[in-house]
Amino acid sequence: MTTTPQTTPQAGTKNGTSTDSHDFPTRHYDLVKEFVIALVVILVLSGALAAAFSSPDEKSVTMSSWAKADPNGLITTAAGELAGTTTSATYGPPYNTNGDGQKLGPLSLQKWAGVRLPVDSAALVLGPLSGVSGDSSLTSALSAWKAATPEQQTKWATDYVDAIGAAAADGEKATGAGGDPAKVATGEYGPVPVISASLLTLAQTGGLEGILTSSGNFYGGDQTQSLLLLADGAFLEDQARARNLGGDQWGMMNETGNYPGQPWMWLYTFWYQVAPFATSDNADAQVWGLMMLLTLLLMFVPFIPGLRSIPRLVPIHRLIWRDYYRRADRRST
Amino acid sequence: MTAGAGALSPDDTTDPGNWTSRLRRKLEGLVPPGQALPDRQPVYVASWIYVFGVLTLAALVVVIVSGCILALGGVAWWHVSSLGLYINSVHLWSVELFFGFMVIHLWGKFWMAAWRGKRAMTWITGVVLFGASIGTAFTGYLSQSNFASQWISGQAKDGLNSVGIGAWFNVLNPGQMLLWHVVLLPLAVGAITALHVILVRRHGVVPPFDADPSIEQEA
Amino acid sequence: MMSALSIVTEDAAGRYVQWGVVQISVTNLVIIGTMILLFVLALVVPFGSGRGSRADRERRK
Repeated sequence: MTTTPQTTPQAGTKNGTSTDSHDFPTRHYDLVKEFVIALVVILVLSGALAAAFSSPDEKSVTMSSWAKADPNGLITTAAGELAGTTTSATYGPPYNTNGDGQKLGPLSLQKWAGVRLPVDSAALVLGPLSGVSGDSSLTSALSAWKAATPEQQTKWATDYVDAIGAAAADGEKATGAGGDPAKVATGEYGPVPVISASLLTLAQTGGLEGILTSSGNFYGGDQTQSLLLLADGAFLEDQARARNLGGDQWGMMNETGNYPGQPWMWLYTFWYQVAPFATSDNADAQVWGLMMLLTLLLMFVPFIPGLRSIPRLVPIHRLIWRDYYRRADRRST
Repeated sequence: MTAGAGALSPDDTTDPGNWTSRLRRKLEGLVPPGQALPDRQPVYVASWIYVFGVLTLAALVVVIVSGCILALGGVAWWHVSSLGLYINSVHLWSVELFFGFMVIHLWGKFWMAAWRGKRAMTWITGVVLFGASIGTAFTGYLSQSNFASQWISGQAKDGLNSVGIGAWFNVLNPGQMLLWHVVLLPLAVGAITALHVILVRRHGVVPPFDADPSIEQEA
Repeated sequence: MMSALSIVTEDAAGRYVQWGVVQISVTNLVIIGTMILLFVLALVVPFGSGRGSRADRERRK
């Protein structure tokens, strides 16, 4: 039972590779019992945490709650859809060709994907309203809109949006009527004021998202149009920012109230908080590209010299295997 | 080869063209004999750091089971039922435990350089699982049919659209997102988990740095 | 510096801690802190009721 004295503990390794784990002496270990214990632990922990803290369920923002809370904002958004100035109207692919989208370095990935989810932002307003009957002023407004040239439509709508303006905020002065359509200066806005106010009325009835979602289909199931219209207004984002869910508030990690969020998203959202991404027009594409690269690096750590040597250099493993190393050191002396 | 009246030998390898026996041999060769569910482990497997893999697996089981119960009631059940809300809470907290234990497991495996000894695929499948789990959780958040889903979908669409993915993977479409969440991604996570665990059993737990099995262990 | 650390309390937002550009919810901070604690404990707490020190001699083929 003598062993030749080992001056270094590297004996037994061939070409620097680890020895086969199956060559080692063994000890009792009950994998199934360990799994069952783990399962009980998880059941008890999640059952108790669920009972103690429950889970968040903030009600959705509906078109009617938006209409009630911020009627001026809804009217302004409707006018913006007609003017083609809202976020969705100028988005580009996959919804339309009114923008080129972001670039990842020289790659226009957003543009190359094409318009596969076509959305006409003006139709978000005009579509639902075209089904309304019994409102003669709306009917004639819609006819006037349809009869006008695209240039005339854009001028009416843009002038109306500018006339409504915005309230003073963030150190900026108020513009136009300070965001209040009722106080708009007289001007040439064509049928836009009537159309915009009619969308507010329709939203107040509670039927707007239903019309947009089912779109003659009955079953719906695709909220793309309703969500784009909702997100074009400021109300949804205001609600989110009040709950620390904004992009520049590390929002990707957060949850409403004090509920646990998504701590694992820390690095993804971190980049959005710092230069150059915080002010970049292509931040989304750049952060995505960077995170994909870092994920690949993590995945291929076994093959990356330097990185793969870090665990050997930082002796946390000496804690993990201290029993083994203690016996091995004793045996080899 | 005649099919005789006698019993077939389980080691019958006289027909190498037989797809069934080829598949059987492949499956049998996945792990060394007796290593699928061994009742012994190498002596160096003696640290609490080793329990985080099985804790992650157990948490995944609870996530799936609670998810199945939620599926029984349907998408809106947890909004209108207190039992539904409780099951949803179990689902959320088991997911938090799942990620917590998975990441601790990752930390342990990194500091052990557990990819050594031909275990690169074990490490790689683990990282893929981390990513796939994030994707599964993400589609789950989109399937809540509440304010959070509205906001998260609106934000996430910008990231995915910016690199073209959003043209096919429409986060504003709850019907699509729900099916990814309850069918496609769990299948992927399940399959890769099975592969990951098989690889661990195949290669065994990674030995310590510079370990030498020829050094006898003291009694 | 502790003086730069501030706890922001807002009813709708829940409790958050802010330090420079870093902002994290108290809940998430507790989760991450607990994970680190568990990791450290797993490394230092002895494992097994003495079974580990009594290595068996049986070898796998």
